[in-house]
Amino acid sequence: MSTRGALRGATAVVGIGQTPMYKRGTSPDPELKLCLRAVVAACEDAGIDPGDVDGFVSYGLDKNDPPKLAGGLGTRELRFSAMNWTHGGGIPGAVGLAAAGIVSGQADTVVVYRSIAESSGQRLRVAVAQDDTAAQYLVNGIDGPAQMCALRAQRLIAEGVPPEALRAMALASYHHAQQNPDAMAYGRPLDEAAYESSRWIAEPYHLFDCSRESDAAVAVVLTSAERARDLRQRPAYLLSAPTGATGAGAGLEESHTPYASSNFAAVARRLWAESGYGPEDVDVVQVYENMTGMGVAALIDHGFCTIETAGELITLENLIAPKGRLPVNTAGGNLAEGFIHGMSLVSEAVRQIRGTSCNQVPDASLSLMTGGPGDPLVSSALFASEDRL
Amino acid sequence: MSDEAGQAVAEAVGRRPILGGVAADGGYWEALEAGDFRLPRCPDCGTWRWPAHYRCGHCGGWDQEWVPVDPVGTVYSWTRSHYAFDRTQERAADVPYVVVLAEIPHAGGARVLGVLDGSEDELRVGAPVTGTVDPPGEKSKGYPAIRWTIAGGGPA
Repeated sequence: MSTRGALRGATAVVGIGQTPMYKRGTSPDPELKLCLRAVVAACEDAGIDPGDVDGFVSYGLDKNDPPKLAGGLGTRELRFSAMNWTHGGGIPGAVGLAAAGIVSGQADTVVVYRSIAESSGQRLRVAVAQDDTAAQYLVNGIDGPAQMCALRAQRLIAEGVPPEALRAMALASYHHAQQNPDAMAYGRPLDEAAYESSRWIAEPYHLFDCSRESDAAVAVVLTSAERARDLRQRPAYLLSAPTGATGAGAGLEESHTPYASSNFAAVARRLWAESGYGPEDVDVVQVYENMTGMGVAALIDHGFCTIETAGELITLENLIAPKGRLPVNTAGGNLAEGFIHGMSLVSEAVRQIRGTSCNQVPDASLSLMTGGPGDPLVSSALFASEDRL
Repeated sequence: MSDEAGQAVAEAVGRRPILGGVAADGGYWEALEAGDFRLPRCPDCGTWRWPAHYRCGHCGGWDQEWVPVDPVGTVYSWTRSHYAFDRTQERAADVPYVVVLAEIPHAGGARVLGVLDGSEDELRVGAPVTGTVDPPGEKSKGYPAIRWTIAGGGPA
């Protein structure tokens, strides 16, 4: 019990806000305005005045800093701001930073957000990897995440994960998106034949193994567990949200070990220790997938299966709500809902606890979100209903 | 070699600056420029340190030596790129091309990226590879580069 720190169950997500998903470059609004829309929507969802938000957290390279938002929100006093390092790997840990701000008494109402619009920024995949790609890669024809993740997935397959597991991750996301009118792949189902015949991007990745690039914004609001109980939504309590890496992790330019991993092993150990639960207890998972192979590796690293048993667990039947053994990406995820640098996975993890997902897992009470896999730093967050505290 | 010297070399050959990673790798590029394949090792404790860093995380030493290494290893992983990505447009005409992550067992298991040249027939994890050094060129952004060939694979 000593590993259960002060953050466990002390805060909750009480509001979620999400703009429509626009195809990259087509948002009618600039990035900052999308960001405001998401934050205001999250506050309205919670029944909180946007001017009362006193803490702001984001992750990796976000340009929409709190002072830019404050004028539009009517912020009365900005008391806490923080940013997690790295890219999508830092999202759940950003939620943990928000909790740390609340538990330490620095802020009462903290928003965690992400906004992306190409019209006012760079191409997403360029912006994500800009100034963070060593010469080793660029000199040798490796531009960024798709190809780096392809190298790791090739190794994952060589060590025993069947390619069909990667395909199952893609099919599950598209399956769930058919129930989500807001998803970019809504009305565009994907089957095995279409997946297999899609063009290669970087082997072993087909087109449908890769996340989208979207313009949109997502925000979630956290406050103390005590206050959460008096607000309008069913609270999604935060049990744990550790950030970290094993050793120097993926900062080792492909020389890290274990290689066929998404860098979560140490974070997952702390997640289960702090929460008091294990993979067998989890009802539903939102898996950040830059590419499917890294999503598979994230499930392995969190202990849902091993390299040897991945092919047995990771099948379409097992991955889909409501009855699968381990439903994943129930709003469509990064592949089929849209890609707001993974932030929409936080709001979907919260919806599962509320019971309002478009692909609800019956009586879901433990909802996991895993951050950008294979990043130099990664993080995960476990949300719970009141009865799991 | 010092970082300042590495920067000078980069400027002399007109390399585009690449930001990112740990910029303690000047010796690697300088050696390749001279046609040599060298990897960094800590002279104090003998630990191979790849990618290069400013301090040995094992013993705390602040020096590194650039040791000539036989460019021979095995395919640790690989990918065939079928798309000309934004920041590697110089290779658009080569698509699809294969990049190999080669493991060098006699350099502490360092893994070194390089484009595959020659036959792809025997391309698989574990296949033996040998490296040759290319001079700075447009495709490699003005840097010299190691190029891997499947051992015994012969020309394409």
